[in-house]
Amino acid sequence: MAEKKDFQNARLYTNREKSWLLFNKRVLSEARDAHLPLFERLKFLSITASNLDEFFMVRIGSLVDMVHAKYDGRDIAGLTPKEQLLQLGTDTHDFMALQYSTYNRMLLPLLGQNGLVFVEHHEKLAKAQAKFVDAYFEDHVYPVLTPMAVDSSRPFPLIRNKTLNIGALLNKKGKKREETEFATVQVPGVLPRIVRIPSDKETQEQAITVILLEEIIERNISKLFLNYDVLCAHPFRITRNADLAIDEDEVEDLLLEIEKQIKKRRWGHAVRLEVEKGADKKMVRLLEKELELEEGDAFYVDGPLDLTFLMKMYGLEGFEHLKTPKYTPQPVPEFSGEETVFERIGKGDILLHHPYQTFEPVVEFIRQASRDPDVLAIKQTLYRVSGNSPIIAALAQAAENGKQVTVLVELKARFDEENNIVWARKLEQAGCHVIYGLVGLKTHSKITLVVRREEDGIRRYVHLGTGNYNDATAKLYTDVGLMTANEAIGEDATAVFNMLSGYSEPRSWNKLSLAPLWLKERFLHLIEREKKNAQKGKNGRIIAKMNSLCDQDIIVALYEASCAGVKIDLIVRGICCLRAGVTDVSEHITVRSIVGNFLEHARIFYFENGGKPEYYCASADWMPRNLERRVEILFPVEDPALQEKLKHILTVQLQDNQKAHILQPDGSYEKVKKRSEAPCCSQEEFCREAQEAGQDPKKAQDTRVFLPKTHLGMEI
Amino acid sequence: MKTFAAIDVGSYELAMKIFEISQKSGLREIDHIRHRIDLGTDTFATGKISYDRVDELCGVLRDYGEIMKSYRVEDYTAYGTSAIRETDNTMIVLDQIAQRTGIHIEVLSNSEQRFLNYKAIASKGRFNKVVEKGTAIVDIGGGSIQISLFDKDTLVTTQNMRLGVLRLQDTLGSLNISPRQYEVILDEMVDSQIQLFKKLYLKDRQIENIIVVDDYISAIVGRNVTGLEESSVEMATVERLLERIRAKSTQQAAKALDMPEENIPLLYISGMLIHRIAKMMEASMIWAPGVTLCDGMAYEYAERHKIIKGEHDFEQDIIACAQNISKRYMGSKRRGETLEKIAMTIFESMKKVHGLGKRERLLLRIATLLHDCGKYISLVNLGECSYNIIMSTEIIGLSHIEREIVANVVKYNHMDFDYWEVMGSNGAIDREAYLTIAKLTAILKVANGLDRSHKQKCRDIRVAQKDDELVITVNTPEDITLEKGLFDKRADFFKEVYSIRPVIRQKKGI
Repeated sequence: MAEKKDFQNARLYTNREKSWLLFNKRVLSEARDAHLPLFERLKFLSITASNLDEFFMVRIGSLVDMVHAKYDGRDIAGLTPKEQLLQLGTDTHDFMALQYSTYNRMLLPLLGQNGLVFVEHHEKLAKAQAKFVDAYFEDHVYPVLTPMAVDSSRPFPLIRNKTLNIGALLNKKGKKREETEFATVQVPGVLPRIVRIPSDKETQEQAITVILLEEIIERNISKLFLNYDVLCAHPFRITRNADLAIDEDEVEDLLLEIEKQIKKRRWGHAVRLEVEKGADKKMVRLLEKELELEEGDAFYVDGPLDLTFLMKMYGLEGFEHLKTPKYTPQPVPEFSGEETVFERIGKGDILLHHPYQTFEPVVEFIRQASRDPDVLAIKQTLYRVSGNSPIIAALAQAAENGKQVTVLVELKARFDEENNIVWARKLEQAGCHVIYGLVGLKTHSKITLVVRREEDGIRRYVHLGTGNYNDATAKLYTDVGLMTANEAIGEDATAVFNMLSGYSEPRSWNKLSLAPLWLKERFLHLIEREKKNAQKGKNGRIIAKMNSLCDQDIIVALYEASCAGVKIDLIVRGICCLRAGVTDVSEHITVRSIVGNFLEHARIFYFENGGKPEYYCASADWMPRNLERRVEILFPVEDPALQEKLKHILTVQLQDNQKAHILQPDGSYEKVKKRSEAPCCSQEEFCREAQEAGQDPKKAQDTRVFLPKTHLGMEI
Repeated sequence: MKTFAAIDVGSYELAMKIFEISQKSGLREIDHIRHRIDLGTDTFATGKISYDRVDELCGVLRDYGEIMKSYRVEDYTAYGTSAIRETDNTMIVLDQIAQRTGIHIEVLSNSEQRFLNYKAIASKGRFNKVVEKGTAIVDIGGGSIQISLFDKDTLVTTQNMRLGVLRLQDTLGSLNISPRQYEVILDEMVDSQIQLFKKLYLKDRQIENIIVVDDYISAIVGRNVTGLEESSVEMATVERLLERIRAKSTQQAAKALDMPEENIPLLYISGMLIHRIAKMMEASMIWAPGVTLCDGMAYEYAERHKIIKGEHDFEQDIIACAQNISKRYMGSKRRGETLEKIAMTIFESMKKVHGLGKRERLLLRIATLLHDCGKYISLVNLGECSYNIIMSTEIIGLSHIEREIVANVVKYNHMDFDYWEVMGSNGAIDREAYLTIAKLTAILKVANGLDRSHKQKCRDIRVAQKDDELVITVNTPEDITLEKGLFDKRADFFKEVYSIRPVIRQKKGI
């Protein structure tokens, strides 16, 4: 027991927010990696910016809430919210400085060298360009602007979250300079932020030249305030606290509440102010006062605000040679035949590895189920779906075809609520039974059940995944999925949906483990088992791949296992509060993070189990929120051939020496660079393998034979 | 293949199981849906189910109806147990439910309910092997428990005791004692009744196996031993489990055992009960097949529709039970057997006339076996006393109305028949039951008449129907003047019921 206490010592943990910033830094390091194509680097920089926005809105936001609520409990690393905010303030300032130095010193010059001229300040426009810009302003921009001035009769306007604005200090013409007024105008989101302008004929004729919309507005700002002298004008942007803390017990109608919350979110407390470096101090002070900002919340930015526009830049045509060739997800060999999805799954379990393999079989699974006359019911959990989801369409179709369709729609998926509500209503109209989440729990599990009535009785087909049912993100996120007709898993799947429909939990589970009721215990048990095996002199081994690791109970168990001699390799993409390689604590634990073109998202777990290895996949990370406040599913993969596939995924990721960063005992991450070894980039490796498998001529069976109909089937 | 739904409207849970039933693979459970709904508290406290509860019940039943539809269920049975049974306004509530949901719920008596649980157990392949040694079924419910004893593979006695887990928990809760004292108090509450059971019924039977039906221990046992011999553990394992629960807080135990916290005290009580009973019986093995009422319902359905054929003869269990009751009240075994023989012969020969079936035949058999149990109390008020004994004795497998039939047949065997105006007036009996009573009474009266002297003179008889006479040919060398002389009055009632007059002919051997 005394030993256990030791492992909870705060110095053995990294604060989760700081660890998150380290992750964003790893993403940033991709933008700084000269080996990468230039436009890919722009993309990574853009991602760090949108990541940081969310970090302020959610994480910093909730720390601020805690401070306001006078909560001073210490986190896993022994810090109070106040202390965390203080440290994160310094860290985020440093981080943003690094973002902009990457932008200014590395990327901008390279863009110029590659024929993309970026006019940073409107003052630098050549005459012809200036004329073009002014005309553009008159024709396109001016009509959609809504300038707002502040004076005694007009209160400070609402500045919306994450919008870009231009603030100006004005002086009524003919009045004394002291009586300045503040005015602001939002840079309209409906217009493209990147505006292409004619190149300067003298110097850059061949190049493509662009300028940002806010520069055009700034240049013409005096046209908005004709009776005033514009003393200064600067872009600014604020980030507001966005964490939704809905008290579900008091919510009668969840749907209405979330709609209300979305409207309210624009009003969340401001937690960050970004202004141009060198902006007028008086204006900044005024903004700080009006937005009730604290010292340190203002960020002076050396460059354009809101770097997410770089994602749009990535989309510019004509620079394909500066981008990584687009990867097309490959067909899944198992589904290349002419059998129906059900016939194929009936023959044996199938493991899907996205985005290397296409998500299509999953969509097809639901599509075929919606038309199959023998299918009785389709049940599915949906967390985040794409805008024009073929899955939603298939589910609606199924309901119209008279199938019993039950869909659990998680309305609490962060930032997706608005989207979710729209299609949830759509499903309801089609006749689906829609469950809007569970009170107090987020449903994060990804499971689909198709019940089919076959000759010898009911048969159940199940898809279980680590990623969302989103055909768009399935092209970007790495995930695994299992398709099975295993009876034991089928029974469990039925029980899962009974539970989600509000019925009692089953008396026991065959194969699946569910959070929040059983999952954590299950993981602790599996880790403990390795520890005991190691203590008995057997080989103890754990390989676990996930997005985040910050559950203290799990970490303590891992520390204990490490001390017992269990070799533990963790592949943790994002937050990791565990400290690796600490003497007498985690000597046998390694942690690596892979940041690549695709977002690592799969959760795969390997336990040696004294020579009878067990493989699991899950929708959950080792985070308290996953294990305690969400509905998650852990499922075993038992087919030896599929186990091999999972083993391969883990092995290759452990060999990655291109995109992997290793967590050091001091808490920092360092990229693996072993020149002696052959370069191995796991994501590229998987792409290559999927392409080879997908193009196997034996398996591609495009026979071009028309099938005559031999009986009158049901035509749908 | 048939898809069948079994709905169990219990005191604290509304459960539905969906089955596929086929000759090839027997019963296959496809879905098991449970909804927590506390009907018991309402009923037990006020005698009525509140409007809100009925509303909730209807809502869930409607959903169940949808689920049935989604599986294309062809047939269903819905049974209500004690909470519905003990409601004053049962009929009204059930009618309301049927109107609102389209689902018709029938009410099960305790003995029917236990019998179905028993059938569910017996449908498990292992059952026959288990009962080779002395076995007891301990069926633990919310309000009461049922202990049934087996002799070889025949059920010999079954007793209901008000020691249900919910009831015990309520009592403990009302005592204002600390949880540490629970064990002692529980022992005291349980032991007195269990000792009594031992003295009255167990006597020197050797019981080795206990088959457990409950919602708590079964869940644990079933889980912990997967891979080992199916859901069967030694008594010591249950003891260890109890140790573990005792050593932990409710919260810890809930976590360790993957159970909702509110179930932990009930699990403990259930475990304690099993432990005490096993100790009293000196049993060493526990088998918890994890069956529920729904399983029994499906089995019954499959049996009734001749989709599956059970190995076990359940009718024999009912007969054996009746024989044991008779024995307890000093009934004459020989006389009972004679009566049974005569009555059965008459019953068989008149099938076309009475139009009664297999089930009524069973009831008549039981009536013959119990025909004189009342004499244990009073030789004069034989009829009334027999009636009361039968009505207060549980006969497993019989519904309440069936028990009424048996009790009345026995009663009117000794007394003048009361017609519908009297018998139907207290509401215990419907018209159909009334007619069955009349018909069976007529037969029993004649049979009884043939053995007036209790000397079993008429063991060898033949019965044949000739026009409007039922000719009973008695093959005996003995003098049957007494029988003949007193036969007329009994024959009158028979004629009244069947319009056929029974006459006795004697054939004095060869």
